[in-house]
Amino acid sequence: MAREGIRDKVAIVGVGACKFGENWDQSPSDMIVDAAYGAYADAGIENPQEQIDAVFSGSLYSNKGPHELSDALKLFNKPITEVYNYCATGTDTLRCGVMSIAAGMYDTVLVLGYDKPKDRGVSGPSVMMDGVRDLPKTPASWFSLCAATYFDKFGASREDLARIAVKNHHNGTLAPLSFLKREITIEDALNARMVSWPFGLYDCCAQTDGAAAAIITRADLAKNYSEKPVLVKGVTVIAGPNPQKDPSNDFLSWKPTGWAAKDVYEQAGITNPREQIDVAQLHDCFTLTELLSYEDLGFCEKGEARHLVKDGVFELTGELPVNTDGGLKTFGHPTGATGVRMLYENVLQLQGRAEGRQVKNPQIALSHNIGGHPTACGIAILGLP
Amino acid sequence: MTGIQCYGAYVPRTRLPLALIAGRPAKEDGPEKSVAWNDEDSVTMAVSAGLNCLRGLDRSQVDALFFASTTYPFREKQGAALIAKALDLRRDVRTADHSGSLRAGTIALRSAADAVTAGSARSVLVIASDCRMGAPGSSLEADFGDGAAAFLISDRDVIATLDDSFSVSDEIVDVWRGEGEAFVHTWENRFVVQEGYTPRSVEAVNGLLERTGSAISDFQRVALYGPDRRSHGGVVRALKLNREQLQDPLFGKLGNAGVAFAPIQLAAALETAQPGERLLVVNYGDGAEATAFTVTEHVEKLERRRGVGWHLKRRRPLSSYDKYLKSRTLEASEWQRAKDPGLPATIHFRERDEDVSLRGQKCRACQTVQFPNQRVCETCFAKDDFDSYRLSDRIGKVVTFTFDFFFPTPDPPTIVTISEVDGARIHLQLVDCTPEDTKIGLPIEFTFRRIHEGGGRPNYYWKGTPTPSQDAE
Repeated sequence: MAREGIRDKVAIVGVGACKFGENWDQSPSDMIVDAAYGAYADAGIENPQEQIDAVFSGSLYSNKGPHELSDALKLFNKPITEVYNYCATGTDTLRCGVMSIAAGMYDTVLVLGYDKPKDRGVSGPSVMMDGVRDLPKTPASWFSLCAATYFDKFGASREDLARIAVKNHHNGTLAPLSFLKREITIEDALNARMVSWPFGLYDCCAQTDGAAAAIITRADLAKNYSEKPVLVKGVTVIAGPNPQKDPSNDFLSWKPTGWAAKDVYEQAGITNPREQIDVAQLHDCFTLTELLSYEDLGFCEKGEARHLVKDGVFELTGELPVNTDGGLKTFGHPTGATGVRMLYENVLQLQGRAEGRQVKNPQIALSHNIGGHPTACGIAILGLP
Repeated sequence: MTGIQCYGAYVPRTRLPLALIAGRPAKEDGPEKSVAWNDEDSVTMAVSAGLNCLRGLDRSQVDALFFASTTYPFREKQGAALIAKALDLRRDVRTADHSGSLRAGTIALRSAADAVTAGSARSVLVIASDCRMGAPGSSLEADFGDGAAAFLISDRDVIATLDDSFSVSDEIVDVWRGEGEAFVHTWENRFVVQEGYTPRSVEAVNGLLERTGSAISDFQRVALYGPDRRSHGGVVRALKLNREQLQDPLFGKLGNAGVAFAPIQLAAALETAQPGERLLVVNYGDGAEATAFTVTEHVEKLERRRGVGWHLKRRRPLSSYDKYLKSRTLEASEWQRAKDPGLPATIHFRERDEDVSLRGQKCRACQTVQFPNQRVCETCFAKDDFDSYRLSDRIGKVVTFTFDFFFPTPDPPTIVTISEVDGARIHLQLVDCTPEDTKIGLPIEFTFRRIHEGGGRPNYYWKGTPTPSQDAE
């Protein structure tokens, strides 16, 4: 593949987010404005109509996309693109923005992800119905399908999953914009109502509304906006086969994550992820997703992750803190917003602005989304210059 | 000689103890009725009975399929065509629905025999299936049960010859269900029995005896339709049938299965029939008819079937009346039923090989079996180079599973699996199975069920069910 690469060509110079949660009194426009103006302020942008060249936005539930965004922000006479890539939407929004700048098309771009599922009047995810045999499926039952095989092969249990929920709940109490701010115990998690075995209520992320934004610009222009810009080291989105149809799937891992990791590590020059990555935001739509992703991302060998969880490796004070803001578990998963919310957290961490949840002196941060059945994985690696 | 070459039956595993209907706790071994669960109906039961009938036979020999039911979900649109597709019969199979009367099953049987005798078809599959509803709390609700029976009518290797039949037609408003109505109505019971069921049944039997020069005592086995236990007993007395002759009417076990009731008794009679025995089947509905069969020596060669006895042993008693109401969507709910337009008819059309016939494909280049059908091979990427491959008659196994408590069902959880069959992976629900029985590697077979309703139309697809061990067969 011809590849000049995008490493160090694009910088993030401002981030913003609204409060995530059941935002009954906020419209999508309200959240878009909160996130975008937060990012403007962070980047010192006072005249976005002049200073923003283009917009890439992502949403799963909105069918208004570009119009909703341009109308809310009054960003007229601009190129606006709506990105849709299931749970990888947020990361893909960044990828599109980064590519447009690296290609010399634009200097400064607004990247924004948002979703408003709580306007649908139902609790929890919708039951899909695209075709006769597509039913019944719920996201919990797609993702839980790895549990039986994984438990069987590696001796993992619901307790191992519960530890991840406990960790993320704790981290969430330290993040001002998170939705759930309550410590839980392993017993709470194990005794909760069952959703899709082995996932109890606390193994599943909440459904929330939210929006997050980032201002990205040419690396050589970054100092115009930020004292401490963060560079994009690599970003990718990779598709894989539907694990439910794939005859070679062993239900111990999700192929797209392994493929995406290989691609993005090559872009970013990472050869030993466990050593080189200092902080990571992983897609924890379900506790098992985070567990398997530790392994699929090469943080450890297959089957080993639960031991590292038990040893506290991924806690705030551990060797490789994961989901420092509490992740999807405590922010919920407004799908389009999630990937951008992770960038927000990683930028704060790299800039040393994460307050009570700040990890020690991180240089390289990774964020990861996996979505679909799951069938697509997006990974972004950010770093200090 | 025209007759029955083979038979199969289906009785849903779910049973509703009659005590629960009356608000009393269920007793062990107390009377019960069979209940089509929320993913079953007259179509799915018909497909199962048809599969059980055709098991071990060459499906391509079937020239025609007659489907009999009063509870087919569509007013316009043929059931036999849907069932023929699910059974993966030949493209040029002749199909017809018989409906409107509780006698439709035996009427279809007679029509099939006539066609074979006349030489217009060599092999006709007749399936009777019914899933009638009495209003909640009514005596009809307690009387009715659900089930299906299937017969292959031909002139080859018949296990019972169809000797003769005699029928009378009658106009009487005794039992009926109007257009668009969910529940069966009936006029005052004594009227129904005294002016309809009893005299017509006796008339039909006497007509047949006269025509064939037989006495009732010439028949070793009599399968007699009855709306309920008491009325049935009246005709037994009127015909002076002795206990040994009488085929068990299964009241308190199965219940009155409508169109399928007499055929189910016929199937049950064939399960224990000896060569030379004569069978009499008496059916009622807008008149009555009696049909005489003679069992041949072929009955001893027929491999054991999944018949009535086999199904009656497989029980799942419901623990509450409420679950039954939920399964029939008869319970009150605060939720409006979703106003969804249903799946596009074009999707049903495009996917009918996969969804209705459960046909996947086998790559000619790399031999990988896959499901559903696609243009490019999942494994070797060859394009448009596949043979069609029937999966519905294969044994698969569970690769992995979960129990979904979130998906709406009357009795959570829904068992969701990825199962493998000849190398193809299928996202498959398991039914007639408990979470405790669900294991990696569990052998499963396929059963045709309702998967969803949209736009007022049922959507049918296949589910998995644990395949019985050889001993249980």
